[in-house]
This record gives sequence, structure tokens and C-alpha cells, in this order.
Amino acid sequence: MSEEKIIEVKNLSKEFKELKAVNSLNLNVFKGDVFGFLGPNGAGKSTTIRMLLSLISPSEGEIKIFGKLLKNERIAILKRIGAIVEKPDFYGYLSAYKNLEILGKISGIDVTNKKIMEILDLVGLEKRFKSKVKTFSHGMKQRLGLAQALLHDPDLIILDEPTTGLDPQGMKEIRELILHLSRDKQKTLFLSSHILYEVELVANRMIIINKGKTMVEGAVNDLLNMNKMKVTFEVNDSEKVTQLLSATAYINDLESVANNTMIFSMSSEKIAPLNKYLVENKIDVSAVIPTRSLEEYFLNITDKDA
Amino acid sequence: MKRIILFFLLTGVILAQNNKSDEILNKVKENFNKVNDYVVNVKIKVDVNFLKVPESKAEIFYKAPNKIKLKSDGFALLPKEGLNFSPNSFLQGDYTSILDREENVAGNDCYLVKVIPLGDKSDLILTNLWIDKNQFKIRKIESTTKSNGTFSINLNYNDSLKYPLPSSMVFSFNVAKMDLPRGITGDMNEEQNPEKDKQNKSKTTSGKVYVSYSDYKVNKGIPDSIFDEEKK
Amino acid sequence: MITLIRIELFKIFSKWRTYIGFMVIAVIVPVINLAMLAEGERSLDFMTRNLQQSFVFVGNLLNGYLVSYFILTSLAVHIPFLIALVAGDLLAGEATAGTYRLLITRPVSRMKLVASKFIAGLIYSNLLVLWLAIISLGIGIVFFGVGELIVIKSSGIIIFARGDVLWRFIIAYGFAGLSMTVVTAIAFLFSALVENAIGPIISTMAIIIVFIILSAIQIDFFRNIEPYLFTTYMSSWRMLFDDPINYAEFLKSVLILSGHIVVLFGVTAFLFNRKDILT
Repeated sequence: MSEEKIIEVKNLSKEFKELKAVNSLNLNVFKGDVFGFLGPNGAGKSTTIRMLLSLISPSEGEIKIFGKLLKNERIAILKRIGAIVEKPDFYGYLSAYKNLEILGKISGIDVTNKKIMEILDLVGLEKRFKSKVKTFSHGMKQRLGLAQALLHDPDLIILDEPTTGLDPQGMKEIRELILHLSRDKQKTLFLSSHILYEVELVANRMIIINKGKTMVEGAVNDLLNMNKMKVTFEVNDSEKVTQLLSATAYINDLESVANNTMIFSMSSEKIAPLNKYLVENKIDVSAVIPTRSLEEYFLNITDKDA
Repeated sequence: MKRIILFFLLTGVILAQNNKSDEILNKVKENFNKVNDYVVNVKIKVDVNFLKVPESKAEIFYKAPNKIKLKSDGFALLPKEGLNFSPNSFLQGDYTSILDREENVAGNDCYLVKVIPLGDKSDLILTNLWIDKNQFKIRKIESTTKSNGTFSINLNYNDSLKYPLPSSMVFSFNVAKMDLPRGITGDMNEEQNPEKDKQNKSKTTSGKVYVSYSDYKVNKGIPDSIFDEEKK
Repeated sequence: MITLIRIELFKIFSKWRTYIGFMVIAVIVPVINLAMLAEGERSLDFMTRNLQQSFVFVGNLLNGYLVSYFILTSLAVHIPFLIALVAGDLLAGEATAGTYRLLITRPVSRMKLVASKFIAGLIYSNLLVLWLAIISLGIGIVFFGVGELIVIKSSGIIIFARGDVLWRFIIAYGFAGLSMTVVTAIAFLFSALVENAIGPIISTMAIIIVFIILSAIQIDFFRNIEPYLFTTYMSSWRMLFDDPINYAEFLKSVLILSGHIVVLFGVTAFLFNRKDILT
């Protein structure tokens, strides 16, 4: 991934009457990143995204996008951003086609019939282009939301809960679209989501915030590797293994034993050495199953903060 | 003896005057009765302190003895007493008259005859008529009415017309101030104009109406239907 | 900018509530005309009864102009309501629909967005007044023809020659358009502050009605504040039906109302530019 900073947030704060929703937040998104923006409910994600899009003005701090200060060059920046903020709402009394046409015209882009139909096709709505949006299901509105975000071929795409309300097939399609946009189109994506395994599947960098503050930020792989994970060893004799390990530090990592299934909580670098140790000691290891879970990591981090 | 003679002399004079005034009025009526009917084009200009009306054009139809009608394609307005200037309209019913004196009106020698209607039917209390001595046409009228204050009418004639029909009239009047109802176009919240407020404070409404007559068609015959009330 | 205004007009005229105003006028005006057909002569008679005492007059005084004048007088509250109905929704409607997020994340300045909405609202208001003018005069003249216009003021009776009336109406309706633009500006300001159109509609009407009532109360204190109430100037179109016309006062009303529009829009734009969009 390149070193060019697409989004640079420094000491960002937002204070409402009784609440400091965002508190000295710092984050960096690099070109080509699929950046996961995570946090529990009320963490300040939505407020942060709204600030990135100039819907809300910060109380303190600085936002730079594409190397430019947002407060000074809002229009030039917004021309290169496509976004969905929370649930996608449209002009229900107009058709999908008309909504896109209007939004395109407001943005000052050349919206041709071909371009609109292409985008609708991309999100799977080409058959319903004439229908009024008020007749759409939530999933369809979500797709239309994605369509309006991509209409002007933006360099940065900000998606707030992009797969909410979609069925598994739909979620898969969105995931594939995100990866396509990142890998094939070199777009930078900023995703906020509660569906953590979805983010895990696509994001390369992430931040977890809570109560308006940064908890951790970094490459997904690195962060997850830092943490212990659950590793399941299928062995032929769990009693013998327990005895064998009691004289070692590995015994501290053992969490549970059920028949010949033994679950350890350990960091990934320890897996190979343990496996080697067992095999050298004539234990048959039939399976080693690491479970790397962002969800666990997430709950871990946010629990610590609670 | 001297008193009796004086009494008879005075009575004689008065009777003579009375007789004289009746004679004059009869001559005027006779003169006017040459006119059976007429149609005339009028231009009316109104100069009244509470009334603003554009100059209007109309036609007046007259048929002896008392039918008269104002007609117009647009709007036209005339004071009631000014519509019919025939002597008959001032000399209706029982009245008594006196020849007061002679006076010159606009270069014409005139008799000044005072007419007092008898009984309560007439709206007129007293009318002064200035009658041309030579032509027995009415040159000026001044009248006091019960309900409409006083008015005066000055009539000018075009001598080329052989009938005693005026070429122009000036109608001047004074009435007690009119109350104006705020009906359809009444203003609830009107901008007050201080100038107009001063005028409002005056007790009477006064003004002049100028009428010019042209193209008389006399004695050509007019059907009675002209004078029927128009139904809209 | 033109594109933005066209889009806003398209949005306004895609909603059914926009047509309520036009339909109401299309119904009320013929109804008033019918009422005048039935009662007009009698009313006119009553109005001119004192005139009839001393004068005889002829002419078609119950004509389309008189009816149109009456309509213009009597719709002082109804038309503002129809205006507020649409203007109050211009910004609040985006909040209700959730489309603020879509709109304000476009690469367009907020100033242009708010200005285009206001201009579209202004166009709607003036179209409504134009519609009123066409229907009033049109139907009035068809039912009653043209004629001289009689106007009764406290200073006297004025009768305008038939050729001297239409131009007054044209300017009067133009002025009515200006008055209604003030109403638009008020409703628009309220619309920027809330998330639902009902609030702005009711607040705008409340202000107008209260101001009118205050103006009508004949107590000295209220007379003193009258010059500061914009509703006082909204009826200045009547000055055009006067002889002579007090152009200085009329122009003063025009300037005061225009000033209101500028200030109200200025405040709206200022607030809108700083607004945090939370919907």
C-alpha cells in the first residue's frame, strides 16, 4: 500500500451540549487502503464520518483529505468522494433513475443515460430504474445508495454500514464490489461496520474507537497477531498431553479440554513450536485449527476499556 | 282716505308683481314647450371634494313633460337636479312666485323670479330663477332644498339653436357631509393621508359639475321604451 | 446555479401539496364570483346609497375589476397559508426525508444550495400570485365584463375610468408577489431551523395573524408599533387605487418589504451554512 495519505485526522473533537462525542481522534488512511472504522454503538463513528463529509463542523482539530484542508477546499474534496451515511434516504416520490440524475446534476457531472444505467446495473437495480424509490425495500435502497456513491467515479469511498439489510448473497456481492474497487480500480475505501467479520474479510487497516477516542489503529493483520487467539488441537490422548505440558509454560495457555479436543489461547507464533513439541513427544496431532476473530479482538479491546 | 289709497296702491303693486311673475313663468314654459323631445350628447366633468370621477360621455333623452334618461356606454354621473333643466321640473305642483327685480347675468338682462312651492310634497324650499328678459330662457337657478342643501345652476346657450336648450351648464352645490359606508371596497386598515383628513373634517361636501351639450336632436320622436328601467 | 434552481423547481412541482394552492384559488375565485352574481348588486347599492341620494348615475360598476379588487382584499390570510405550505417544506422536508445527507455531501456550496431553494420558493409564490391574477381578472371579466372601478376610501369615493384600471392591477399584483415573497422568506427561515414542515407552516401563519390583529387594535400602544410590523406594509397595494397615487409612500413600502426579504434570507443563509446536519 502506498504512503500517500488520503485522509489525515488530527486531534479531532466534537462537542455537543452535554456530550463530547469525539475526543481528540487521530487517524490516517493511505491510498489504496480498505480501512475499517470500528467501534461499539455510541462510540462516535457516525459523528466522525459526518465531520469527514462536512455535514457537521468539528469543535477542534483538523481534517485533511487528499492533502487539502477540508474546511478550506470542501468542494474540490467532495468532488472526489462518494459516500453513504447511515441509512440511504432518497426522494421517495421520484424514480431511482431520476434520483441519480438529479444528484449527478447537482454535483455538476455529466450524467448521461448510459452512465446512470451502467451504475444501476452494477448494483443490480437496472430492472427497477423507473420505479419510485418509496416502493423500494431497504436492501434496494442500500444498493441505490451505493450507486449514488459511485456515480461520479470518486477516488475515496466512505461507506457507513454498507451491508445492512442485505441478504447473504447481497452481502457477498457488496464485499466483492469493495474488493474490486480496491484492487482493480485503486480506490481508497473507508468502511464503518458492525458486521466485523465482513470488515475482517476486506479491510487491510483499521481503527477501533470507543467513547470518541482511539483505542487501536494499525494494519489488521498486525493487530490481530498481537493478540492471543484460540487454537484448537485435535490429539489422540489429551490426558497424556496435559501431563506433558504441565512442566512447560504452554500449560498456562490451555483453556479447555473436551475429549481429545484441546483449546489453547495463544499468539500465533507459538502454534508451530507447540505442534513440534507434541509431535517430538510422540503425540499424534490430527488437526490444528486457529480461530482468528476480529470479533473477539474487538470485544477484547472494548471490554478492557469498559 | 290716504291710508286706503296707499293700501290699494300697495296691493295693486303686489298683485301686479305676482301677475307679472306668473306671466314671465308662463312665457318660459311656453317657450320650452316647443320641445317635445330631444336627445343630446353630453360631456361631464366632476369637481367635488369627496368624489373623483373621470370625465364621462353620455346621452340624455328627454320627452315632454317629464321623462328623462341618462345613458352611457361607460360610467356617467350627474347631480339629480342637474339632469332635467326644463322649467316644468322647477315649477311643479302649486307654487307662488314673485318678481323680485331685474339683474344682469353674464351680459344678459334677466328677471329674477322667486318661486316658493306650496304644500309639503316638493323637496324644494325656495327657488330663484333668472330669466332672460328677451328670450325667456332660464339663465340661472338657485335653489334651497330640504334634503340636499343648496345648489345653483348656470346655463349658457348657443344662440344658433332655436330651442331654449343650453350648450353648457355649471352645477354648483353644497350638501351636509356624506357618510361613506365601508362596503365591498372599504378599507379596514387604510393609510391615512393628513391632507384628506383635513378635508374630512369640513362639515359640508361641495363641488361643481360641468356639463357640455352637443348635437341636439330635437323633436325627432323618442319611443317610451327608452325611458324604461333597464333590467340587467 | 440555474441547474440547481431547475432541480428545486422540479422537486417542488413533483409534490402534490404544491398543487393545493393552485386548486384552492381555482375553486375559491369562481365561488366568490358566483356570490357576487347573487349579492353583488345589493352590496353595490348599499355602498353607493348616499351617492344615489344626490346623484343619478349609470354604468356597469359591478364588473370584473370590482370583483377582482374585492378578491385581492379578502385573501390576505389565505394566500400566505398556501405559500407557507410549500415554503415551510423547502428545507425541513429534506430533514424529514433524510435527504439532507445526500444533498449536502454534493460538491456544491451550501450557499448555492440554500439560494437555489429560496429562489425556487420565490418563483412558486409569484406563480401562485400570477395564477390568482389570471383567474380573478379572467373569471371576473367573463362573468361581469369590464367597467369603471369604484373604490371607497375614508377620504371619498373614487371611480377609475375603465382604461385606467388594468395597469393598477398589474402593479398591485406585482406588489402582492413581493408581499408573498416576504411570507416565503419567513417560512423558509423557520424551515431551516427544524426537521419537520408543520412547525414552519404554523409559525408563519401565527406571526401573520398576530401581527394583523395587533395592527387592528385601536389602542395607542399598538399604533406605535404598527410601522414595525411588516403586515402593515403588505396592504400598500391599495395605494395604487388612489388619486393621486402617493408614490413616495408606495415606494417606501416596497423598500421595507424588500429589506425584510434580504435580511430574512441573509439570516437563513448564515444559519444554514453553520448548521450541523444530524438527520
